[in-house]
Amino acid sequence: MNESLAKRRDTGRIDFRVRGVAGVWLRHYTAFKAGWLIEMTGILLEPIFILAAVAFGIGKLVGDVEIRDNGVEYAVFVAPGIVVGNAMWHSLFECSWGAFRRLQTNRIYDSILAAPVSMRELALGEISWGATRALMTTAAVLAFATITGLVESPWGIGILGIGLLTGFMFGGFGLIAAAIAPSTHMLTLVFTMVGTPLFFFSGTFFPISTLPNWAQPIAWALPLTHPVRIARALATGDLYLGLLWSMLYLIVAAFVFYPIATRLLRRRLLV
Amino acid sequence: MVRAAGLVKKFGDFTAVEGISFEVRRGETFGMLGPNGAGKTSTLRMMSGLSPVTSGELGIDGIDATANPRSIRDVIGVVSQHDGLDPDISVRDNLTVYGFYFGLDRDTARRRADEVLDFFDLKTRGGDSVDDLSGGMRRRLTIARAFVSRPRLVILDEPTTGLDPGSRNRVWEQLAVLKNSGVTVVMSTHYMEEAAILCDRLVIMDEGRILGAGTPDELIQELAGAEVAQVRPEEGQRDSVQRQLQESGYETAELGAIFTVRGLNGDRADLSKVSGARISYRAANLEDVFLMLTGRDLRDE
Repeated sequence: MNESLAKRRDTGRIDFRVRGVAGVWLRHYTAFKAGWLIEMTGILLEPIFILAAVAFGIGKLVGDVEIRDNGVEYAVFVAPGIVVGNAMWHSLFECSWGAFRRLQTNRIYDSILAAPVSMRELALGEISWGATRALMTTAAVLAFATITGLVESPWGIGILGIGLLTGFMFGGFGLIAAAIAPSTHMLTLVFTMVGTPLFFFSGTFFPISTLPNWAQPIAWALPLTHPVRIARALATGDLYLGLLWSMLYLIVAAFVFYPIATRLLRRRLLV
Repeated sequence: MVRAAGLVKKFGDFTAVEGISFEVRRGETFGMLGPNGAGKTSTLRMMSGLSPVTSGELGIDGIDATANPRSIRDVIGVVSQHDGLDPDISVRDNLTVYGFYFGLDRDTARRRADEVLDFFDLKTRGGDSVDDLSGGMRRRLTIARAFVSRPRLVILDEPTTGLDPGSRNRVWEQLAVLKNSGVTVVMSTHYMEEAAILCDRLVIMDEGRILGAGTPDELIQELAGAEVAQVRPEEGQRDSVQRQLQESGYETAELGAIFTVRGLNGDRADLSKVSGARISYRAANLEDVFLMLTGRDLRDE
């Protein structure tokens, strides 16, 4: 091995290019732009249908809900849960179903990796697009909730950040599922066994204290519970110290799945 | 441009490439001819920085491929067997977005996309969906995509496999133009016509090894002679004809119901004494070379 080759090997170690991530993100943005009108129905309309039905329909039948000894209207209680739960759905779907299509069905990852994009950059590009979609839908539904008076505090703007972090967390989780799923059939387990239970049992639609005692610790361990809890506090303006734990959980979980997803994708694709 | 020495690729216990060595010169079109499973794709994937090298040396344009797979991908264009085209975006965007993967800015990527669309005769299809293209057009788009980054080396894995003869001719025409533009090309194929038409030099591969190397003409001259005899035994005469051919001392390979017989020292085989068979002569080709080297047909599975 001659000297110039050896030198190149050394510089290859700390090899992470933001433009690799940006390239992947721009691919998604290009595809999104091409079909934005249809995309908007998923980002804006569908979650608003759910929020309107639950907050203003079911909400009429339900009395006030206690949060930390304060009674709030059910519609006010449920809105942050639906906003954040919806952010989860979007990044989870994009990074599991969408990613699997790109990985297996259309073999687009092969093309991307044949360009100078590393697996680490590809994975981060995927997850950050999932998070971008989560942010878009959070913004859309949060705006609707604000207009309809379901967000009581100006702190509510912070829910945008919570939606984004939730997007990173479930983007990473979804990508792990895509990397290990043998087929789309198996991949549907992500929605039936993960997405749906999280959406309903993370303190989104009813307080965790209504669950039986044995189930409560489980609910507290669920990853969606914490962003929902923070979002609800921001929406009502009732901030307290205990939220720091939830914030810590959220930040750690937002970035813990990413390196695992990278490794699993490498194992699947770089043989 | 490319230098491989003792290159090995293993998948678990299976050895796909068994220590091959070859060199590709700047500006030439270099071919790898061999049947499925010869180790061509594994070799090309290692050259593309997509598959780790198990052992051996591999240098691409002065870069050590065993240590810097990504630096290689900066300077090469890859056309894999699976088109890997993006059905969610238009034909033109497939090219623009590919420029983004190389870090091109928006204007440059768009300009390059239009350039290659023009060159590969896809200009009128720029706004279409990839799914609406014919197989031949998809292939041309995949090849076009590899040129968006203006690579120094283009790697094509079986560029015309699965295409109808008309589309294949179109792709060949375009590759011939590219060849004249001075870019270095490495391609694999199991079509001997393709190798004969496009490649300046080639290696013949089988079961992970290189069996022969040279220009198409050299290989044919050396290993098959200018002309080969084709001997078709009459009914019930196969064994007798085979015995006669063995006694004649010429190198013989059997394929289906036909014996192909190679001449000696550039002269065609003298088979005037062989009886019980119809004998004809034709110009030798790379298929004969492969047959002589392995006793099998290129298209054998």
